[in-house]
Amino acid sequence: MGNVERCDKTLPTNEMIYHVRRSAELRARWNDDLEGIAREFGLSTAEYEALRDKDVRRLNEMGVHQYYIPQILRLFFGAGANSNASAALECYKRAFPEETTRALAAQAAFAERSSRVERPASGLDASATR
Amino acid sequence: MARIVAAMAMTHGPGLTGWFDRAPREYQNLTLQATAEMRRRLHAARPDVLVVFSNDHLLNWPINNMPDFTVGIGQEHVGPADWFDEWLAMKDKYRIPGHPALARYIVNESARRGLAFSYLRQMQFDDGFSVPMHYLNPEGAIALVPVGMNCTVPPIPTPGRVYQVGTVLRDMLRAYGGHERIAVLGTGGLSHEPGGPRYFWVDEEFDLWFLDLLKKGDHQALLRECTLEKMEAAGSGGTAELNAWILTMAFTRGPADVLAYMPAIEWRTGTGMVAWNEMAD
Repeated sequence: MGNVERCDKTLPTNEMIYHVRRSAELRARWNDDLEGIAREFGLSTAEYEALRDKDVRRLNEMGVHQYYIPQILRLFFGAGANSNASAALECYKRAFPEETTRALAAQAAFAERSSRVERPASGLDASATR
Repeated sequence: MARIVAAMAMTHGPGLTGWFDRAPREYQNLTLQATAEMRRRLHAARPDVLVVFSNDHLLNWPINNMPDFTVGIGQEHVGPADWFDEWLAMKDKYRIPGHPALARYIVNESARRGLAFSYLRQMQFDDGFSVPMHYLNPEGAIALVPVGMNCTVPPIPTPGRVYQVGTVLRDMLRAYGGHERIAVLGTGGLSHEPGGPRYFWVDEEFDLWFLDLLKKGDHQALLRECTLEKMEAAGSGGTAELNAWILTMAFTRGPADVLAYMPAIEWRTGTGMVAWNEMAD
């Protein structure tokens, strides 16, 4: 099985992120009082430090559910201007340089192929996007 | 008795609304064309209610208690959840009427048939439901019964298991005492690995292979070949959202029409849309 099997379902960080995503009060405290939130949810020092350092690789290895990792980065950096040029990408480049470099090369190749088969936007229904 | 009148599936990646214009123009055009075709088919089928199957991205349940299936039984469904509005570029909440009678029937009748479905009166909505509703039910004109699935917390149900659940649901919905015309929709996939080491990767080869299996229309062959292990290899913790498509396939027979496919790394997921022409007997 794949990377998701690394998930430690009993890790306090995984319980914490569930509640933070659903609580405006906890989200508002995130950048100013991460240590306090971590204490309230019983995180280990290692968990807190990996969060504080935005260390994607360590978070993944200690069993934070992989889906929560970009969500954690959003808590730090916000959701605005989300793209592959985002702060999240920089964190992933540091954590998984080989995988991320390969992905970006593929993206460039797909984009090049796409530009060669560009088609007119006929028959579109712009009302699909409100 | 109720009737199943349409069955479709599509990707629900947040980039499809949140950062739509970051992908190549061709992908944007294909998405608009394919979803317009899905809306056209939905309109022609005249459904009273949409039963939608999607991964719950650890939003509605904590990781220590994640059910495989959860039905939203509320009178009205409001989304997206606050945490997702900026992410999905949906500042205004949408409101879609529910169908509590049908939703509660699913919960209780599934129990009689040996399936454990959880339920929520107030379900929260992430991209899994919000993105498809944006494209297919933008005015909220069709009532919604959302069914959340676990596609990401181990143990992830196998394709064979979800197909079997789909056959039970199919029989249950057709036995429902009302005269509703029901459309079913599976959302998620295609290949992607949200938050994993290959977060920015899609597996085009897998995606085209999977879509080809749908086009061939041999459900048993697809179930033999498309194992959970293969989905995990194509993108862990995300590609298995195709379980929602496979569950939906159980309502149909024969091949699906592939309306679009894009290896949209910009949207961080292989992106596709399909529709079936024939419902199962």
